[in-house]
Formats: sequence, C-alpha cells, structure tokens
Amino acid sequence: MNRRKFIGLGGAAVAGTYIGMKLQRPPKLSDGPAGQSPVAILRARSYSDDLVTRMLEGIRECGLDVRGKRVLLKPNLVEFDPQTVINTDATVIAAAVETFHKLGASEVLIGEGPGHRRDTLDMADDAKYRVTIPKFESIFTDLNRDDVSPVRGFAGEPEFYFANTVLAADLIVSLAKMKTHHWAGATLSMKNLFGLVPGSVYGWPKNKLHYIGISESIVALNRTFRNTFAIVDGIVGMEGNGPIQGTPKPAGVLVMGRDLVAVDATCCRIMGIDPEKVTYMRMAAELGHVHPARIDQRGETVASVRNNFDLMPEYRQLRLA
Amino acid sequence: MGGVYLESRLEFLRQTQNLDGGWGYFPGKQSWFEPTAYAMLALQDAPGSEKALNLAWGLTRSWQCSDGSFRPCGHVTDGTWVTALAINLSCVRGVYDDNLHRAVSWMLSVVGAEHGLAMRAASRLHLLETKLDVSHEGWPWRDGNASWIEPTVHTLVALKKVAAHYPGAELADRVRDGEALVWSRRCADGGWNCGNPNVFDLDLPSYPETTGLALLGLQGRSPQQLAGPLEVAQRFRAETKSSLAKAWLAIALRCYGQSVDAPADAARTSNDILLAALEALAHPDGNHRFFQTPGGLA
Repeated sequence: MNRRKFIGLGGAAVAGTYIGMKLQRPPKLSDGPAGQSPVAILRARSYSDDLVTRMLEGIRECGLDVRGKRVLLKPNLVEFDPQTVINTDATVIAAAVETFHKLGASEVLIGEGPGHRRDTLDMADDAKYRVTIPKFESIFTDLNRDDVSPVRGFAGEPEFYFANTVLAADLIVSLAKMKTHHWAGATLSMKNLFGLVPGSVYGWPKNKLHYIGISESIVALNRTFRNTFAIVDGIVGMEGNGPIQGTPKPAGVLVMGRDLVAVDATCCRIMGIDPEKVTYMRMAAELGHVHPARIDQRGETVASVRNNFDLMPEYRQLRLA
Repeated sequence: MGGVYLESRLEFLRQTQNLDGGWGYFPGKQSWFEPTAYAMLALQDAPGSEKALNLAWGLTRSWQCSDGSFRPCGHVTDGTWVTALAINLSCVRGVYDDNLHRAVSWMLSVVGAEHGLAMRAASRLHLLETKLDVSHEGWPWRDGNASWIEPTVHTLVALKKVAAHYPGAELADRVRDGEALVWSRRCADGGWNCGNPNVFDLDLPSYPETTGLALLGLQGRSPQQLAGPLEVAQRFRAETKSSLAKAWLAIALRCYGQSVDAPADAARTSNDILLAALEALAHPDGNHRFFQTPGGLA
C-alpha cells in the first residue's frame, strides 16, 4: 500500500495537505497531444520594466487572438507577508489588463478566490492591487463569493461548482507566481487554477481538492478549463518553503503560452526542477507538452535564464540534472 | 438606537434583500445561506423587519435536505457547515421543532475526516508531516473533509445554544471535544488561523478573524485559560485593518464582556452584504448576543 492509498483509506486529508506525495508511484509520462506548443520566455529584470511591451511580444509569439473575447485574469493572491513575495505582483496584473485591452478584448476582468483568508479585498489592499490596478474594484470578483453553477464530471464528482464569472469567460489567463511548493514541488500556472473553486461551497481552505488529491485536482481543473493562457510572474519568484514561507528569488523572466503544461514545464526547468519528476506534471502530460522536444521555445532559451531555486530537502530529488 | 453606523448597515440590508427572501454576498446576486443568516441575526428585533425576516426564514427552511443538513444556497444540492447557522437561527427564533432536531442530529453525525482510524494510526506512527492532533473530531466545511476552526466554532456555538432542547450526553461530549480541538489548533503566536498551526515543523501565523471566531467557540472556559487569547484578540483588534476581522473580533470580545471601542458613525461605503451584517452585529447596540453562549458546557 503506498502512502496515497493509505490516505485514501483513512479518508483524511488535512492529510491530503499534510502527507507528502513524494512516495507516490509516478504515472507513465504521456507523449501528449500532437504537434508542438510555443512557450515564450521574456526577460524582465524588474517590475519597473515595460511589462506591457513584454507581454505583447510574448502573446504575439504564442499566436493568441483575444479580439472580442471576455478575458478573466486569475492572479495568485494567497496571503500577504511584507517579508516575502507570495502573490502575483500588482504591476504584472496592471500590465496584463492594459495588454489585453490593447489586443482588442471586449472585457478584461480579474478574479481570485484565495484559499485561506476570507477578506480578499483586504489582502488585495496589502498586495497593492487597489492602488496599482486602475478601477480595480469595478473589474474584480471575489470568486469565493460569486454566484455559482454546477459542472458535471469534474474529477469524477457528479456535480462540482464553479463561479459564474469563471464559467462565462472566453479566456482565463493564469497570472501565476513562480514558486516552489511544499506539497506539490512547484506552483505555477496550472496549480493557480485552485483559486477558481468557490470557498462558499468548499470552504477555506478548499479542502475538497485535497481529498480529491492535489495532483488529481490540478489535472482536473486544467482538463475542465481548456480556454486558458498563462503568464507566469518570474520576475521575482519564491524559493525554499513555498508557497507562503519561502524567500524571494529574482529570476527576471515572464513565461507565457497557451499550453499551461508546457509553460509550467518550462518554468520548472528555469527553476532547476525536472518537470518529469513532478507528479502533477506527469499526470498532466496528456493535456500538454512536458518534453522539451515538444516545446517550441520562443524568446530566451531556458539555458540562458536558468536560475536554480532552492528546494526543501524533501524535494531535492526533483533537481534537474 | 445605534446611530448612523448601525442604522446605515441595517438599512443597507433591508434594501438588498432578494425577492426570494434571502441575501447574496453582494447586492443583486444569488441568495446564500451565510449572508442571509447574518443579515437575519442583524435585523432580528429591529423595528419594521418582521416581514423581511419571515420571508428569509421561509427561504432558509426550504434549503433543508432530507438528511437534516442545510444547503449553502439554492443552487447547491448537498448540505454543509451552514447547518450550524441554521441551528443558531432556529434558537434565536425560538423554533425547537423536528427540523431543528434533524439538523442537530446531522451535525452530530459529522466528524472531521482526519479523525479516522487510519489517520490516528498514522499519527501514532509519526507518519504525519505535521504536529496536528488528530484525536479530536471537530467539524469540517463539508462532510467527508477535515475539520477546521470556522465550521467547528459555529457548530460549537449552535450546539451550546440548543443543548437544553436536545437531550442526551452525545451533544455535551461533542462540545467538549470540539473545544479541545480548537485549543489543539492554537498557533504558537497565541491566536488561531484557519486550523493549521504547523507544517513541516514550522509554525504558521494566526489570523485576526479566525482568532475572534475561535474565542466564540471557547465561551465558558475559565478566565485563566482565556486571558492569553483575549489579549491576542485585543491586540489584533487594534492592529488589523481588515473590516471583516474587526467585526468578528468585536463580536467575540463583546460576547466576553470586554470593552471594544465603538466604531465611528461612518455611513457605509462597501457593497459587501456579509460584512454589513457582521458590522451591525458587532456594534455596541447590535445583536452580538446571538453568538453568546453563557457558561458553555465545558
């Protein structure tokens, strides 16, 4: 009996959260869909760089057309600690709002459902979202407290509920932070979709996802929402005991693409993590490309921006050779 | 009563009630049990609110499932932690009927999943990468999940209030064990977060709002036991800028008879219905007493 099965039998999961997944038997790596996935790596040395120009360049490289579309930007707003960099930087979100308007989106909204804290706007204040992002309150939806509708077949559940703002979006842009994660190895654009799940139905934290399994939930969310694009804020990421208690790690990049699996695989390699050793990456390989030969790297090369993130001892086996 | 601060919030609640009788988290949105329950508690006994309260009561009653639990909104099919709020509401309205009995029975049947046999065995074998004490049952957000502070506390308040009308030792046992769970989840800094004080031997910080909530669940404990947590709550109340946290802390501190500065007579600016209801409840002239459980059971 492996540890995952043991947790399942116990039906416990503070445990889904607390027991490491590192002893899971890794699933076979799928070849993924046909063709290649473009992923753009753009250098941005600081948040005062011209991020709109970088984003326009990256989106053009990836061939994304957003004209007339209702775009939902999903940042990573978790908690606030002035000593570190937990959340997607406000300047990245502001730049994304401007970028998607410039590209002809009919509407650009921001939505997030933090997993631990209930006062979302207070955290948004702390993270300087309200002062940095023009008209923030009029375009922001707390996905934890939005109206909801059921979706059938999510992770084998007869019904699973999502915020209507999410379900109405033509395109969901995962504006993730490049961070290590003490349960999943790394948290990037795919795991960022946890925030689409409403706390009003599933609680704070969204413990149901832990019981489904963190990796299984990441894959299920990315299987359910295919109308996605990723922009990962790796200008200053987080290393060590992420996603909350780690330390800032300047990596100086924005990573973008339509294939979130390929974007996250690329981010892992930039961080010095082997994505083929990350359980949820292997499981998600049926949805997108993990193997570097199937990723059409645009902009900078991985080698030119690789910057090993410090890993907790439990995850050092993930280090990319 | 209450001045501009309280009246502006109560008036906001009156104006934002949905046609079905409930309240959404924000004006014009789907009715949800949680904001509806807090709005009802805030408006209880307020002049001219009887019709609105009766309409809301009818809606919340319609959300009871066949197993006794209550759904979080009309669009969700299964019951959740809001059943605790339904019990509290029923006590406030003095309705001690079979519906209430079934709700209490459901809450007593629900146990935090981390208390399962396998997890307790794993804990004994030091297989858990946490110091979490899994010997207590507590209550989850949803049946089948682990227990957390907020649903446990609301259930403690509800069970303590309904205890006199629900005979048997089981309820008192669950309350004692629930209080023990809250204590066991206290953070190293003296307060509470959502219910996870430690990961990988690293202490996690407490939050102001959950510290206030935890204190509500511990009413009835000795003053010596509560002195430290109350001090932390007072400090959080002075320091936090979160309106939600301020409201829960004020409700909790008032339930303990502690002094809390009255808010300035500010008219409302937010469109957050849940917050407006909690701010009204937290006001010196508000209905914070509906969270009070004098004496507790412990």
